[in-house]
Amino acid sequence: MKRVFLLIVGFVLLGGVMAVSAQDSVDITVRCKASPPEENWRCDNFSEVEAQVEQELGININLNLIQDNIGWGDYKNEFVLASEAGDAPDIVLTGHEDIGAWAASGIIMPLDDMIAEHPEFNDVVPSLWNAMKYQGVTYGVPQDAEARPIFYSKLLLSDLGWSQEEIDSLPDRVRSGEYTFQDMIATAKEAVDEGVVEEGNGFWHRNSNGPDFLYFYYGMGGQVIDDEGNLVFDTAAAEKVYDLFAQLVDEGVTRRDMLGLDGNTIINPGIANADTVVFTAGGTWNWPNFALNYVADKGGNDYLTENLGLMLIPAMETGSAITLTHPLAYLVSSTSEHPDVAMALIAAVTTPEANNRHAIDSFHLGILTTQVDSEAYQANPLLSGSQYMLDYTTSLPNNPGWSSWSEAYYTGIQAVESGDLSPADAVQTVVQQLQNELGDQVVIK
Amino acid sequence: MARTEIEVGDPTVSPSLPLSPSSRRRFVPANLTAYGFLAPAGILVFLFFLIPVFLIFFLSMTDLSHSNFTTNLMQMNFIGLENFNKLLSDQFAQKIFFNTIFYVLITLALFNVGMALGVSLLTTHINRRAGFAFRALWILPRITPVIVYILIWRRLTAEAPYGIIAQFNTLLGQNTPSYLTEMPWLMVIVVNGFVGASFGMIIFTSAIESIPKDLMNASLVDGSTVLQRIRYVIIPLLRWPMLFVITYQTLSLLTSFEQILVLTDGGPGLYRTEVWALTAYHRALSTYFGNAQWGYGSAFAVLLVIIGVVMAVIYMRVFRFGELVAEPKIEDLQ
Repeated sequence: MKRVFLLIVGFVLLGGVMAVSAQDSVDITVRCKASPPEENWRCDNFSEVEAQVEQELGININLNLIQDNIGWGDYKNEFVLASEAGDAPDIVLTGHEDIGAWAASGIIMPLDDMIAEHPEFNDVVPSLWNAMKYQGVTYGVPQDAEARPIFYSKLLLSDLGWSQEEIDSLPDRVRSGEYTFQDMIATAKEAVDEGVVEEGNGFWHRNSNGPDFLYFYYGMGGQVIDDEGNLVFDTAAAEKVYDLFAQLVDEGVTRRDMLGLDGNTIINPGIANADTVVFTAGGTWNWPNFALNYVADKGGNDYLTENLGLMLIPAMETGSAITLTHPLAYLVSSTSEHPDVAMALIAAVTTPEANNRHAIDSFHLGILTTQVDSEAYQANPLLSGSQYMLDYTTSLPNNPGWSSWSEAYYTGIQAVESGDLSPADAVQTVVQQLQNELGDQVVIK
Repeated sequence: MARTEIEVGDPTVSPSLPLSPSSRRRFVPANLTAYGFLAPAGILVFLFFLIPVFLIFFLSMTDLSHSNFTTNLMQMNFIGLENFNKLLSDQFAQKIFFNTIFYVLITLALFNVGMALGVSLLTTHINRRAGFAFRALWILPRITPVIVYILIWRRLTAEAPYGIIAQFNTLLGQNTPSYLTEMPWLMVIVVNGFVGASFGMIIFTSAIESIPKDLMNASLVDGSTVLQRIRYVIIPLLRWPMLFVITYQTLSLLTSFEQILVLTDGGPGLYRTEVWALTAYHRALSTYFGNAQWGYGSAFAVLLVIIGVVMAVIYMRVFRFGELVAEPKIEDLQ
């Protein structure tokens, strides 16, 4: 009898413990895209703060981190399909430009009220919040920012006869608008003509569609969104962009097969070794990748610092140097059962300490005002030396039609660079495609 | 004489004689048995062809995309034929259509049928073991995973100093062209053709091997040369496998795009090697910024299904499919 009684008591206690733990246990799934290992803090930071948030909220968090480096298109599809299946991660890291389409379809949650509950978010660089909004409502929290500069080869400029002083002052001359994009093309052409580099290796740009091509359009005075929030295609600015790309290949400065050129075998080693191409449009995050994977045997970061420099995109028609920032953001799924816990976790990783881990390892720029002033950030010459670029930055629009706009605009670049169409014909082709796909969602200027 | 309507190829009855009462009694259960044997394949066709075809027909009449995605059919925006209007207004649709025709015809003629027949004839006219070994080599592209296979080609044809061909060219003091940029169609057709040839090769080889020896011997006795034997004995007896290979491989080439996706992604330049199936994939599933247009992409896929079915019917007419599957005349004698 005593045994039976003890057994019953045991079951009751066990049941009680299970009930309490079930009640206080919260499952949170976080989905990140990261280039390993340098960008892994995007998700790994959550592990670092898990215990702290558990203590603050008095709950047990079962954290499930899913992080890989699949293509952006597949990554975004995955979230949309998972949302419809009711199996979306609580937190998803993505480019801010998805906010437009995803907010419109109701698969992400408005965050304004919850942001107000966490003082950590007051530290975010104010201008970054603009990219997190759709129709005036905030749907994301900035995770990182970057600049898309031009890498220049000090080695090849020296071979071209540039003095050390000329090489060292180049970023400042670009910043002031003194050294323009046409000057850069002239330098690149000179390098080709004098045999310092092979034909086509004066200037390289991105090898596939992506955010970078937009700064050429901005640089030519183009506008993507009007005051009413409509997409705009400025034909005059676009034709100037297409003229520029035609000029690049016609003058032998850029390879005609630049689009589609293999990144791992040709582009990355070509830039990192600083012995193949004079100027390349890239991103700050490329630097640690080059150091780890392409010139590690030559000294990695030291070799890059000695032979490669970073500068803004030189001034085009607008007369001002430019770059583009594509902030990534943590978004919260509207199907999340515990958005308050998700936001507490996001707040906990939005600190100088946590974000510096990511910024320093991956060469992404700081997103917090106190982070930028922190000792660790300032001690990193790459980060502190590039922070000024955020003063010259532009960004993508948050509009559901942006993807179609971008695909059409890129078609024009493909057409002129391959020689299939003249710049003027390319503009007409793009206008026709935009009107066919977006109809009255786009204003043609 | 009145003739009973019967299905061509029905194994239980003669096509030229009326059914006797006893035959009729056997007709129903025998048909049931036949349908029973057909059922597993029929169910698979229903599940994995008819239902998907119905779904893409339905999707092609909606504007389903990233910004309004739902799996609830009732909540999708029905827009009728608007996607098809948009498709026909697409300035690149015509170019992509003719790209597809060019790609299918050339790959089919040169490799999937031409090369396959050539390899089959050669390997059945040499030492049996050598023929087997040679055919085994031709199977390699098919059993190699697509990505690995394409990476091999990319490395083979990459520019100096990375490419294997470029290494040899450099040794010989020759420049290496940028194959993927300067001759993308050649690359696309060769890369796909090397995979496609093995299918026809297997079918044709087994068909040649199964030609009765007395026919071959009779032609030898008549003093035929090898070429005459191929022309007047072997080729005419390959009409059925030829129909099968041409039909199957046409449909396969029309819908395959993965090698092109990995090799050129439809480029370089303006849709230079873009084919219809790849466009359907690009529109429905793959853009850099992830704006998948499932409805519009389905419209491209629907046209592909229609083209495929029409082509299959044309092939069956041209090769007189009915005669090919009819009972041998000798079976009519009772």
